[in-house]
Amino acid sequence: MYCIHCGVKLQENSGECPLCHTPVVNIPMPGRQETAYSDRYPVRESQSGKMILLGLVTVILAATALGCLIFCLKSRQDVAWSGYVALGIALAWIWFVLPQWFRRWRPMIFLPVDFAVVAGYLLYICGKTGGDWFLSFAFPVTMMAGVLTIGGVAMMRYIVQGRLRLMSLLVIAIGLSFMLIEFFQHITFGTPMFVWSLYCVTVFGLIGLFLFAASFVPPLRAWIRRKFFF
Amino acid sequence: MKRQWYRLDNAALIFPAVMRKNWNNIFRVAVTMKDRVDPDILNRAIEDLLPRFPTIFVKLRTGMFWYYLETVQDAPVAEEDYAWPLTPMPRKKLKKCCVRILYYQKRIAAEFFHSVTDGTGGMIFLQNLAARYVTLRYGTEIPPEGSIADLTEEPKAEETRDCFQLCGAKASVSRAEENAYRLRGNPEEDRFRNIVTGIVPTKTLLEKAHEQGVTVTAYLAAVLAMAVLERQKQDPPRRRKRHIKITIPVNLRKTFGLKTLRNFALAVNIGFDPLLGEYTLEEVCRLMYHQLAAETIPQRMAGRIATNVDLQRILLLRLTPLPVKTLCMRLVYAVSGESKGCLNLSNMGEVRLPEAMAPYVERFDFIIGVQYSYPNNCSVVSYGGKTYINMIRGIRESELERLFFSRLVEEGIPVEIESNRR
Repeated sequence: MYCIHCGVKLQENSGECPLCHTPVVNIPMPGRQETAYSDRYPVRESQSGKMILLGLVTVILAATALGCLIFCLKSRQDVAWSGYVALGIALAWIWFVLPQWFRRWRPMIFLPVDFAVVAGYLLYICGKTGGDWFLSFAFPVTMMAGVLTIGGVAMMRYIVQGRLRLMSLLVIAIGLSFMLIEFFQHITFGTPMFVWSLYCVTVFGLIGLFLFAASFVPPLRAWIRRKFFF
Repeated sequence: MKRQWYRLDNAALIFPAVMRKNWNNIFRVAVTMKDRVDPDILNRAIEDLLPRFPTIFVKLRTGMFWYYLETVQDAPVAEEDYAWPLTPMPRKKLKKCCVRILYYQKRIAAEFFHSVTDGTGGMIFLQNLAARYVTLRYGTEIPPEGSIADLTEEPKAEETRDCFQLCGAKASVSRAEENAYRLRGNPEEDRFRNIVTGIVPTKTLLEKAHEQGVTVTAYLAAVLAMAVLERQKQDPPRRRKRHIKITIPVNLRKTFGLKTLRNFALAVNIGFDPLLGEYTLEEVCRLMYHQLAAETIPQRMAGRIATNVDLQRILLLRLTPLPVKTLCMRLVYAVSGESKGCLNLSNMGEVRLPEAMAPYVERFDFIIGVQYSYPNNCSVVSYGGKTYINMIRGIRESELERLFFSRLVEEGIPVEIESNRR
């Protein structure tokens, strides 16, 4: 019995050609035929062990946070330092434990959540300590770090072509972000400008410009690949 | 049995580091007997082989700086085969034993975690298992000749050594090369693996290869590359036309005249740039043959071994704790590990058995698992005048197989197809 499309010889009990899926007409039915593979399917590995461990970690962390809160409320009639501990534990849980509950790590969902949580934590500290540095320093710096991290991860995961060029732009952006950090520091705390950020901008800028130039010069690109492959 | 442990050989280091929950690098060798397999006798045969093959019956252990292999005390029990070959071997199972023996009707299959051995080592083990099975089942003594070992002897030192450490050149060869075209498709549910076996007469295949003036491996690599090229032409025009390259594992035992039952193979990538123009099969055959010949000369192989071994010998790297090393290896593998070839073509060559054993054996199969990031692989073995070309895929689309086998038919090679798809 041959496939009329591919010309290959088929097994006698084939209902269709496994290559082009052309149906076989007048299939001979001589009763039960032996098949090349069995009907046995592998049992899916149980996730219960991991789930129990994650549950245990969650319970321990929650108990620690709750214990601190109750201790402070009882002894000082105030949340006091326990707020930092409880929220810090919540932050650590969101960063490290929460993604483990999911089958796949989805950076485009988890990373924005992670940085939003950090911003929230800093807002709490700012409010509790009576500072006014959140809006002019902590928030923009956190957001900047978030955007650069998400951009970098997205580039590595989803972009196949022109990575070197994008990486060079990212390196330059990281360099410029140091200058912005110093600017926010300047307007918030009154520190002088251009004390340390210029060094960062220069180093990152030069690396970035070199990579950018290299992305247009095939021999230089090949040299980088040859020297820095891993 | 005395508990022994072995360092992972140079090629084996990467496999435990990069394995995932549902994927690791495993391969299968299988023998189909003339009669239905008796599982009890098979289990006795496995137990008899246990002391003679200490590097095969091992489990994966974790050290402070490296993974290592430790001999198992009890032989693994043969289990019934699954609906598809190479179902995942999770870490939990590897901690018990890195080899799995399966049976189904007339077939005995051995599946190995690649850190244990390579295809050639696996096939030697399977032949010994089949020989012992024949002895126990039919009472026929199989003489220790060729690949068949004397089970009363102690394991030989040459079988257990890491030959990579012996063959490195003084200078290393760069690994830098062009990235290859990536085959894609819709993944199968539940990690189902489609296996399509094309059975072709060895004589006709040899004649066709010799007509082109090339070896069977080069000929099959050329036909496969042409199929990948056709597949690439079906892609949307805006997708970049990367190089068409076939990864060919080369058995180094012949190259360096060494015998080991552990990994001793290196993969070479051979192919062409589709943007340079149109290619005929004759041209691709010549291209593949000469590239393969140039890449596999002992000096170049020694240089490539040196590249790998030198890295392994860096003190700082050796002193890095295993979790950090694992993380680094995973990163390296994710970036460049599987990007240099479109798919593997692993040709085991012809299996030769002692005359006394041949009447009991119908055929052999050799199947390598799919890689983590590319969905097709191809493996070849010949026995008894037939060549068994096993193409495995983790995606639904069978276009590559169709293009490959129908090209063989067009070239005048009759192909008989078997599949595990119902």
